[in-house]
This record gives sequence, structure tokens and C-alpha cells, in this order.
Amino acid sequence: MMPTVAGAVPAKRNAWRPRVRRSVVTGVATIVALLVAWWLSTSVLGLVGPARFPSPEAFVAALQRIWTQGYAGGTLIEHVVQSVRLVFVGFLTAVAVGVPLGFLMGYDRRIEAFVNPVFLVLRPIPPLAWIPLAIVWFSLGDASKVFVIFVSAFVPSVINTYTGVRNVRKHLIEAALVHGASRGRVIREVYLPDASPMIFTGLRLSLQASWTTLVAAELVGAFLGLGRALQTAYRDVNTPMILVAMVAIAISGALTTILLARLEKRVIRWRAEA
Amino acid sequence: MTRAVPLWLYSLSSLVLFFGVWQGVTVLGLVSPFVLPSPVTVAERAIAMMQRPFAGALLWEHAFSSFLRFLGGFGLAAAIGVPLGLMMGRFRLLDEMVTPVFEAYRYVAPLAWVPFAALWFGTGVGGAIMVIFTGAFAPCLINAYRGARLVDKHLIEAAQTHGASEFRIATEVLLPGALPSIVAGLRVSAGLGWQSLIGAELIVVSSGIGYVMIQGQSNLSPQTVITAMLVIGLIGLLIDVGLRGVETAVRRKWEGQ
Amino acid sequence: MSEIVIDKVSKIFGDGGAKPFVAIDGVDLRVEDREFISVVGPSGCGKTTLMRMVAGLETVSRGEIRVAGKPVTGPGPDRAVVFQQFALFPWKTVRENIVFGMRSRGASREERDEAVTYYLRLMKMEGTADKYPHQLSGGMQQRVAIARSYATDPGVLLMDEPFGALDAQTRTIMQEELVRVSKGNPRTVMFITHSVEEAVYLADRVVVMGRNPGHIREVIDVASTRQAERWSEEPIDDVMEKPSFTHLRGQVWRLLREQMGADV
Ligand SMILES: Nc1ncnc2c1ncn2[C@@H]1O[C@H](COP(=O)(O)OP(=O)(O)OP(=O)(O)O)[C@@H](O)[C@H]1O
Ligand SMILES: [Mg+2]
Repeated sequence: MMPTVAGAVPAKRNAWRPRVRRSVVTGVATIVALLVAWWLSTSVLGLVGPARFPSPEAFVAALQRIWTQGYAGGTLIEHVVQSVRLVFVGFLTAVAVGVPLGFLMGYDRRIEAFVNPVFLVLRPIPPLAWIPLAIVWFSLGDASKVFVIFVSAFVPSVINTYTGVRNVRKHLIEAALVHGASRGRVIREVYLPDASPMIFTGLRLSLQASWTTLVAAELVGAFLGLGRALQTAYRDVNTPMILVAMVAIAISGALTTILLARLEKRVIRWRAEA
Repeated sequence: MTRAVPLWLYSLSSLVLFFGVWQGVTVLGLVSPFVLPSPVTVAERAIAMMQRPFAGALLWEHAFSSFLRFLGGFGLAAAIGVPLGLMMGRFRLLDEMVTPVFEAYRYVAPLAWVPFAALWFGTGVGGAIMVIFTGAFAPCLINAYRGARLVDKHLIEAAQTHGASEFRIATEVLLPGALPSIVAGLRVSAGLGWQSLIGAELIVVSSGIGYVMIQGQSNLSPQTVITAMLVIGLIGLLIDVGLRGVETAVRRKWEGQ
Repeated sequence: MSEIVIDKVSKIFGDGGAKPFVAIDGVDLRVEDREFISVVGPSGCGKTTLMRMVAGLETVSRGEIRVAGKPVTGPGPDRAVVFQQFALFPWKTVRENIVFGMRSRGASREERDEAVTYYLRLMKMEGTADKYPHQLSGGMQQRVAIARSYATDPGVLLMDEPFGALDAQTRTIMQEELVRVSKGNPRTVMFITHSVEEAVYLADRVVVMGRNPGHIREVIDVASTRQAERWSEEPIDDVMEKPSFTHLRGQVWRLLREQMGADV
């Protein structure tokens, strides 16, 4: 690709020269500028000391070290696999329980009336506040992490599914009924598809919450995982490794989010493009 | 049509069941009190913590110091996020520059900032405020941005033709126009900020209501942990109710209900 | 035999509550098997409410509605509805939408494929079977909705301002097509509209309703004139210029105008 200078895009489009959107150019330029500023202020000018923020060289060296020799009880891959695994187990369990529950609450007012009060008591407690209790109950192993991830991912799944079902368009339900659809068909062919955009919104928020909670739980105490690497790096005042762990957390989170977005696009194919 | 059973009976029975089962399993000794204390034990513990200091202070003092920190971090996030979001909605170049950086930032879980926050600002108030900030910043910015984008272009042009400066456009057109969206964002961001603070207090900050939980946990006193959880939930709820009040007021004023 | 009998029917919203509202008061009407009636009346006179009660989407407060001799207790595929806002399932293709009601009665695969081909040809929409509703124009969407209801093979078709959301030209085309389609597939039809021309052009009888509370003012016969002058064999514009047509239209208009006058 041949990047063109912003604003200087030729009016006539040439087939061999794909037009690059101005926003992409500006975005890339900003990021490059930031990277250069980072390099200048740490390595070249020494404005920021290594105990505050690492230089790019130190970052690469730390990356190499955790990749090959390992750090805080595992290599980078091992930490990533551990964290992603916990997120998936906690997230999927929460979704498997939360979506059906939210669905029932939206579908039947009696179930809503029954579940809501307990929900109202427990919901204001932020998921992270469950970490100490989880440790009391399950000690520091995987189970306590899965539990708190479950708690944090559960709420958005329930609420958004509930809202989605509540807002299923009434005239579509009626259209199904007047064409003889059974209750099962109305649920499968009207409620589920019409609520699915909201359900996916809930899944996205759940996944995001899962990562936040996992990182916190692993920082509080863990034997392996990205949060554990981050915690060890902090105790060692190893700023390059702190940055490596943060970047790894961001990339892992981004990849799982993209995976979910792919799935969403597949399921909601029928939607009009914007 | 009349229902056989009124809905509120379902709600009541659910609460009775919840606390009944909790009290039941603990009184019958089905679970150890070191795993799950009974509701009564928790209530007693809460009263005790209001009268005698635990981890250096009374319960409400811990809660209050956490709340003050929250206000600091949340205020900072709003003070930076909202104007930046508004400006991004107004100036395309700024939008194009900040957006990719912001997108990358959004994938970093807020608590992952704890180490840098502690190294840069210490494990006292400074570090805690930075963690709250990183948790609360994103919704402030996004909602101000969206709100600004939705402001009628004609209003901005009308202001320009009447000779308004950029500052006056920002404060007298963009800000009021985007206010409903901004307030909605503040509510989300307050929730995230409050929870980030609790996380920070669990990890490095050795004071505040989150620290009470960690102390309770290492003292093998789950009733202390649960008391703190309830206080945290209560404060979170009060923050949300307060902001919801603001949201309703703004909406009523701007949109005529 | 799918005749509709509306027997002294009233509808009171919020019955038993603090503010009951009488929407329909003592309506008596019999629609013969395979008869096409249109219903006109000022806004809020209860046309939709009446139709929804026949569909079984709304309960009857007093009186009874019978279709094919059986009292209506809920919605069913013997009384398919075409809604003003089409109500196509956005997540289903044109094909899947058309066969939705057929599947309720367990139609075989061949039967369904055949119906899709038949109705798409009838609606002049060949080649759109695998499109999603959002890829179609408003007129096409409404044709699919009509095809879906016909394919369900109901004894009774209920249409609530089905052409209300269409532009004038599309609307005229749709009116002609509806006449053509109903000629080949006669059903008992209750057709609600705000357009007096449309009501007179399509129906065997025009039911004029009044409001406060909703009631039937008069029923005007069109079938005898239509048959005598063979309207259905001529283009819509020619029909609308006939003196017999303008006469009937004027009659309905006057009834409606009186309604408006009574309001002021
Ligand atoms: N669910 C409801 N609850 C209370 N009142 C209702 C309800 N549905 C309709 N009404 C009232 O009943 C009256 C008749 O409404 P309906 O929709 O049947 O009128 P309409 O003749 O179809 O009007 P339009 O021509 O505008 O579609 C109106 O006054 C309306 O406000
Ligand atoms: Mg109506």
C-alpha cells in the first residue's frame, strides 16, 4: 500500500493505487509519533528513569526473557494459556446460566418477581469485592478465580438478555401467532433472534468484566497467569516486565473480544448494515 | 383477568427463601462458620465494627476514606474525559489521532494499571486515584464524544455566525447538547471507578474499605469480609442513585421529560 | 365455509379498573364466506380493535365472535393477519417468511417450495427468495407479507391498512394486484383502510364506522355494481372514473364527513 499524504488524495482513483483513508494515516502517524517519543524520552534523552517506565530496548529484552526462559513461574505462553482458560471457563459458565435465567425473567413476570429481589441485594456489590470471600471459600487456586469471573460475567448476561427479551417486538410475536406458530416456535423463531443483538451486547460486557476480574484476582494472589506475572514484576520493580504483562493482557483481551464479535456477525447475519 | 397469586408474593417469598436458607444452613451447621457465617453473625459483626476500630479505624471511617478517594479519581476522569470527548466530537483531526490510542488503552483491564500506579504515585492516595481514573475514564470520554457528535450541526453554525469563540461553542452549545449522554456515561464510569478502587485496595493500598476485606480474609473472619462487601454495595448503590437523580433532572430539563 | 359472525360485541379497555374506556359498543356484523369487506371510519373509532378481536389478539368484553361457527378464543392460522408495518421476520429470508405459516400445519418440503415459486411469480418477485427483508423495498416487503398470509391458507384474511405505509404509485399497483390475487384465491377478507377509493374499489361491501364509542354506522353494498359493470376486468384508473364508482365513493364520503362534523 502506498500511503498518501492526508488531504492530497487524487480526485481520480487509480486502480493500482488503493486510496488510504485519511483517518488511518492520522492514526498510524500518531502511534508512530508516540513510539518515537517513548524511545526519545527513555533511551536517548533519559527524561524518564527505568524505575518509572522502561525503554523500548528493555521492553524487548523482557519480552525475550519471559518468552524463552519464563518469568514468575511460567513462560509467556503458559501465563496466557492459564489466563485465557480461566476467563473462558468462568465466562462460559456464567453465560450458560445467565442467559437462560435472563430469558426466563424476561419471558415470565412471575420468575422476574421471584429472582429480582435477590438480584437487587447482590447486584450493587462490585464483582471485585467477591475476591476475598472467594479466597476464603476456594483458597488461591483456579476455583476462586473461576468463581469471581462467574460472578462478574453473570450480571451483564442476565440483565441484557432480560432487556432483550422484554423488548422483543410485540407485532412480530403477533405475526407468528396469527400464522399458527406454537409456543416453542415463537420462542425459537421470534424471541431468540429478536433478543440476540441485546444478548450479544451482554456477552461483550460479560467478557470485558471477566478480564477485569481475572486480572484483579490474579493480582491478589495466584500461582500462574498474566496477573501473577504482573504482580511479580511489580514486586521486583521490573518495569519492562510490567509493561510486557500489560500488553499481553490487552492483546489477549482484544483477541477474545474479536472472536466474540466474529461469532456475533455470523449469528446476526440478517441485520441491515448500519 | 385476575392473577391467582399476586406478583409481590413471589418477590417476598424469594427474599424469605434467600435469608431463610442462609440462616438455616448456618444454624444447622451444614457449613462451617469459617466458610459462611449466619446473617445474624454478620449483623453483629457490623454493629461491632461501628463501635470498635478494626484495622485502625471504625467501619464508617474506612468507608468514608474510600469514598473520598473515589471522588478524587472520578472527578479527575470526568474533568479530563468529558472535555477531551467533546473536542474529539468537534475536531476530526483530534478524533483520528486519539481514537487508535484510546482503543488500545481500552483493552488494558483497569486493574492492570495498579503496578504503575503504585510505582508512580505510591500506595497511598495517589496510586488509588490513578487506578480509579483508569477505570472511570473510558465511559466519560466515549459518551461525551457520542453526545457531541449528536449535537445538531446547525446549532454550532448558528453560534459561529453570531461570532461565538470556540470556548463559548464548547461550553454553551456542545456541553449542554451532549449533557444527557454525558450524565449517562458518568453513571457507568462511577460504577467502574468504584469497583476499580476496591480492587486497588485489595492489591496494594493498605487502607480503606477494600483493605478491611483483605484483613478480614487473613484473620479468617468471613463475617468481616461480608460486612465490608455490604458496605461497598451500599455506597455503590448510593453513588448510582445520586447520579440517576442527576440524569433524570437533566433529561427532564433538556427533553421536557 | 369461513364466515365471520360478530355478535353484539363490545370492547372495554381497562374494564373493572379506575378508568374503563369503551372502544367498541355493540357491533353486529356478519361477513359471508369468501366475501371481501372493507372497513372505514375516523381515526380512533376502533377498526384495529375490532380486527384484533377477530384475530384473537384481543379479548372480547361482551358478546361473541364466531369464525366458521366456532367461537374465537385466541389467534390461529385460520385467521391470518397482514399488518400495516408488514411484520416480516427480519432474520428470515423471503422464502422462510413465506413458508412460516405453512410450517405450522406441517406442509411438506415439496409443497413449501411449490408455494414459494407460485407466490413469488404471482407477486412478480421472482429471484428474491433468498433475500432478507431489509434488502427489499416497502412495496416488495408488503407483497411478501401478503404472500405469507395467503400461503398459510387461512379461511379468513385480516388486513389492517396494509398499504398505508406505501407511496401512492406502489399503492395503486398493490391494489390492482390484490384484486388479481383474490380473484384466483378467494377468501373471506376484512380489509381496514383510510382510503375511501381503496375501500370501494376492493370490497363487496364497505362498512362505515363511527366513534365515541366505536359502532357501525352503515354498510354499503358494492358487489352488485361491481358485478354488473365488471370492474375487475378493467384497469383501476378506468374503474375510478365510472359514474357508479364516484357515486358510491360520494356516499361513503358523506357518511364520513358527517362523522367529522359531529366531532366539532
Ligand atoms: N390497548 C389499549 N388500551 C386502551 N385503549 C386502547 C387500546 N388500544 C386502543 N385503544 C383505544 O381504543 C380506541 C380505538 O383504537 P383503534 O386503534 O382500534 O382505532 P382505529 O380505528 O384503528 O384508529 P386508526 O384509524 O387511527 O388506526 C382508541 O381511542 C384507542 O385510544
Ligand atoms: Mg388502526
